[in-house]
Amino acid sequence: MSTLHTRDLIINVPGRADGFPLNLSVEPGQTWGVLGPNGAGKTTLLHTLAGLLPARTGRVVLNDAPLIELKRRDIARKLGLVFQERQDSFPATVMETALIGRHPWLSPWESEQADDQTRAQQALAALDVDHLSDRLLSTLSGGERQRVAIATLMTQNPDIWLLDEPTNHLDLHHQVKVMSLLRDQSDAGKAVFMCLHDLNLAARWCSHVLLLYPNGDACWGPADSMLKPSALEQLYNQKLVTVEADGAPVFVPVSAG
Amino acid sequence: MTRSLLVLGAISLAALILALAIGSVNIAPSELWAVIQGEGSALHRTLLLDLRLPRTLAAFATGGLLAVAGALMQVLLRNPLADPYVLGLSGGAAVGALLAMLTGMGAFVISGSAFAGAMLAMVLVFGLAHGTGSWTASRLLLTGVVVAAGWGAVITLMLAVTPSYKLPGMLYWLMGDVSYARTPWPALVVLIFAIAVILPLARNLNVLARGPMQAAALGVSVRPLEWTIYVLASLLTATAVTTAGSIGFVGLIVPHMLRLVLGNDQRIILPASALAGGTLLVLADTLARTVIAPEQLPVGVITALLGVPTFLYLLHRSR
Amino acid sequence: MTKQKAVALLLSLMLLAPFGIAAPVCVKDDQGAELCLDHPAKRIATLSPGATELAFAAGAGDKVVAVVNYSDYPEAALKLPLVGNHTRIDLEALLALKPDLVITWRTGNPPAQMEMLRALGLPMFAIEPRTFEGVSKVIEQLSILAGTEKEGFAEAERFRKGIAVIAKQYRDAEPIPVFYQVWQTPLMTINDNHLIGKVIRLCGGVNVFGDMPRLVPRISAEVVLETDPHAIITGSVEGAEDNQLDRWKSYTGMTAVAKNNLFFVPASPISRPTPRLLEASRDICQRLDVARERE
Repeated sequence: MSTLHTRDLIINVPGRADGFPLNLSVEPGQTWGVLGPNGAGKTTLLHTLAGLLPARTGRVVLNDAPLIELKRRDIARKLGLVFQERQDSFPATVMETALIGRHPWLSPWESEQADDQTRAQQALAALDVDHLSDRLLSTLSGGERQRVAIATLMTQNPDIWLLDEPTNHLDLHHQVKVMSLLRDQSDAGKAVFMCLHDLNLAARWCSHVLLLYPNGDACWGPADSMLKPSALEQLYNQKLVTVEADGAPVFVPVSAG
Repeated sequence: MTRSLLVLGAISLAALILALAIGSVNIAPSELWAVIQGEGSALHRTLLLDLRLPRTLAAFATGGLLAVAGALMQVLLRNPLADPYVLGLSGGAAVGALLAMLTGMGAFVISGSAFAGAMLAMVLVFGLAHGTGSWTASRLLLTGVVVAAGWGAVITLMLAVTPSYKLPGMLYWLMGDVSYARTPWPALVVLIFAIAVILPLARNLNVLARGPMQAAALGVSVRPLEWTIYVLASLLTATAVTTAGSIGFVGLIVPHMLRLVLGNDQRIILPASALAGGTLLVLADTLARTVIAPEQLPVGVITALLGVPTFLYLLHRSR
Repeated sequence: MTKQKAVALLLSLMLLAPFGIAAPVCVKDDQGAELCLDHPAKRIATLSPGATELAFAAGAGDKVVAVVNYSDYPEAALKLPLVGNHTRIDLEALLALKPDLVITWRTGNPPAQMEMLRALGLPMFAIEPRTFEGVSKVIEQLSILAGTEKEGFAEAERFRKGIAVIAKQYRDAEPIPVFYQVWQTPLMTINDNHLIGKVIRLCGGVNVFGDMPRLVPRISAEVVLETDPHAIITGSVEGAEDNQLDRWKSYTGMTAVAKNNLFFVPASPISRPTPRLLEASRDICQRLDVARERE
């Protein structure tokens, strides 16, 4: 099981002044939700944590080693990422796409073995897309493609799961299914860190929350201490009304006047 | 997977034998066999061993080089319409070759000059695209297209000022002609070397095809891999163009056709491209030297005539 | 070899010669490269239309076994097997005809293919006559290589004499500025190093582009107008319409146009380095005489 730390991390949002230095500790068993309006830098943060973008200052540390000192392949065995936007210029089947998740585990001369296939199969089944195994990715709906992407991450099976708005395009049923699957993963010892645009999902499913403000300010901590209406209203510049449902708060945006 | 490669291998062999048997003088299989065993008439021996065998092997190697280079370019630029010449390599080689022809140099210098020109083109595009830090596939493509156009202008200039009697030679070079190949060995060696280097990287290419960010997230060292592909594809293209001039369409069509039939796994597509590209060019060259014999057509004409309708058909089907 | 042995060999060869025992023949080409054959050639391949004509002129027409496109003179050549174009030879077809001598066009045949033939051990003789004497010389050389010295040397001499007669006739002729149009688009002409230029000079004409550095310069219409030739000549291709000089007709200020001195001569005799240059020269000289009358 792995831990992802940040030491005084300031992400590089071009044209924006330095934000608040982040000192996060994403640990096994935690489910983090990153909240903030558009342009706050949620995607930039995620990419920086994955080592895909350089930080402005500060470091990202995976277990005991700074990310920049690690080889990409070693990182990929411990850390995986589901992107918000994907490029699909070359046709590939659903199964092929999921199988690509095994890449960090295979040496150049090895090809996928039976148990790799099984893993991919199980991941696709968990995301309800196994019946589409042989279909071309480009023929799927947005929601189905989203689930395939998550299945790929599951096939990769890293210790740390980074996801950028995993519930995009998903219908209600699958939103719940995915969030519950993520929670199961963190219960089993993974560390889950995801950007969410729907704060109610964070309220229901996350153990920890990071609030990212457009000007670079940030605060983080356990979910119940972060999800205070006043903080959220300031974050989204939107008046909210809080109700309780099924043991968790639900925030409803209302018009000011 | 290996089954399709074996089938392709068998087809390649059949094409090679066909090419050796057919020509302005047809050689029956029994006579072919006699020559291989060391006997056979002097004329057949000369035709087969001094003319047809080197030419056919050169055609095979060149076709293989172009097809693999095309497949690599398509992955590198993440664009199924890329071909080996899109980054200006053939233009640079052409300028080198034509310059040597203009100054009356011999065949060896012409080849060397063509290779040097291609390498110069490679470095030029590398340098220009690298320019201000982060480059993307589209930046590389754009730089390459512009540089290719530049070479084209230089070529046109050279054609305009060259004395009339040198023109046919230059034009045939530009059209692509396997009969220029003095020896097939450099091309064959480079092809085998390239396949050996690229096969272990093939799965990485599969991942790279999903996008550079995604590939990095899955453990691929994207930059080093991309530069490796760039240099490798350039080497393959330079060797091909040096051997037989700029033969078109093979690099574009062959990977496409294979993808339609065999899927997108680069571990199959790359070796299959080598075999299929070689076969295609061997067959095209056989046609080029026999269809209106004793008139000799440049093989580039045949590949274009085959390539254009094939490509249109593929485009239509993919909709 | 001692002097005595050499003399003995020579004598025995001379004695044997009348019996048709073939002796080795050696000839140097115009660049000094020597070709030696064990015996006169029996199967000759000519890789340009001009070479075909010259082989026939040398009396070796019945030994020619392979020609290239446009080998249309003399008529007997039309029946000979083709081995491609002078810019692109079908090497297989050529080899299949088993030539023992290949006559090549130094600048016209593709160097890569010529190198290949050389590497295969075929005897090659390169020609590119640039003067009238050069034409005679080549006919003589080809006849030596083919063992047809009698006819060849006679033909060469006939050509020499013919040219000398014309030269004498026009030695004191009134010089007249001439433009020879080789091709319409792009506009091409020849300088005085070219055989056509030499024909013009022979007839007392002055090639307005005679001093140009290139053998076959590409010029603009403006420059032609500037030099104002008194006669414009071009080659007429059999079967095609003679309209290549129509573009000049609109420039009525040009002397050649004003005096209607736009002449056509048959294209292939003037364009090939062969004995037909004699007829071509007579044609051109006649035309220039007409132009002189109109001065």
